[in-house]
Amino acid sequence: MKTRPMLTLDDCRRISAAAEAEAKRNNWNVCIAILDDGGHLLHLVRMDGASPANARIAVEKGRTAAESRRSSLVWEERIKAGRNSMLGMPGITPVQGGLPVIVEGICVGGVGVSGVQSHEDEQIAAAGIKVLG
Amino acid sequence: MKAQLRVAVACVSACLALAAGAQQPSPLDAVPEKMPNDIPYGTPISLERAQAAIAAAVGESKKRDWKLNVAVVDSGGRLVAFARMDGAQLGSIAISEHKARAAAMYRRETKAFETGVQAGNHYLLTLDDVIASRGGIPILDGGRLIGAIGCSGATGSQDEVVCRAGADAVKR
Repeated sequence: MKTRPMLTLDDCRRISAAAEAEAKRNNWNVCIAILDDGGHLLHLVRMDGASPANARIAVEKGRTAAESRRSSLVWEERIKAGRNSMLGMPGITPVQGGLPVIVEGICVGGVGVSGVQSHEDEQIAAAGIKVLG
Repeated sequence: MKAQLRVAVACVSACLALAAGAQQPSPLDAVPEKMPNDIPYGTPISLERAQAAIAAAVGESKKRDWKLNVAVVDSGGRLVAFARMDGAQLGSIAISEHKARAAAMYRRETKAFETGVQAGNHYLLTLDDVIASRGGIPILDGGRLIGAIGCSGATGSQDEVVCRAGADAVKR
């Protein structure tokens, strides 16, 4: 039987804390969502000052990355390059700020961030994932 | 022929009696002087307190070896913090958030809906975004509603115990 790694609540807390620290260092107020490889929410924090919309968008960016196993930026760039039909992809939020969590070559989930500029959202998500080593 | 007529008359009388019975005053017709759950909305809960509530709830749940989903929403019913414990069931992710949201939006514990429906007040299920299951509790600060916590994954009674631990840890 094939086995695969999976994120624990403890992993999520570490990822989230590191992402939050990155945001705080830059005085950014964001929402950070972590989802499993099925696109199901594992952990969420919305920092003081981040909006209700940020909460929803962070989850959707994270879900896009977790389920498609690639950065949500990939989808954004495809559309920017003229593939307008990609706008209709079911369940895809094609905006930078969602990254897959890859462990031992396997996608175990995704991290989505929303609250600042999209490339800054991604910077926060990357800082969170980095703690897994 | 006469016997049949008598039966028919008896049936009509019985029906009228039933209809008259249905017109007896309903307890829902009562007009209390004061409105219930007249709790003002306050400043939305901070992330720090939301996380303290979640930590307390997860701690209580862990102590009992239960695996739950715990959600905290602000006074607008929107998610502020969420945690899924290892092994918690997936269907309860949305339920925990729903319970928290309903507790905030209706300014009462979701147990109130459950109790009402159990008592036969099925109209409660027609109210918008109601969830008639215990385990959603408002979080108050100085008499104002600042958010709510919702737990799901075990029985309603187990969800409620964990939920209460979370709510009690941060109320003021």
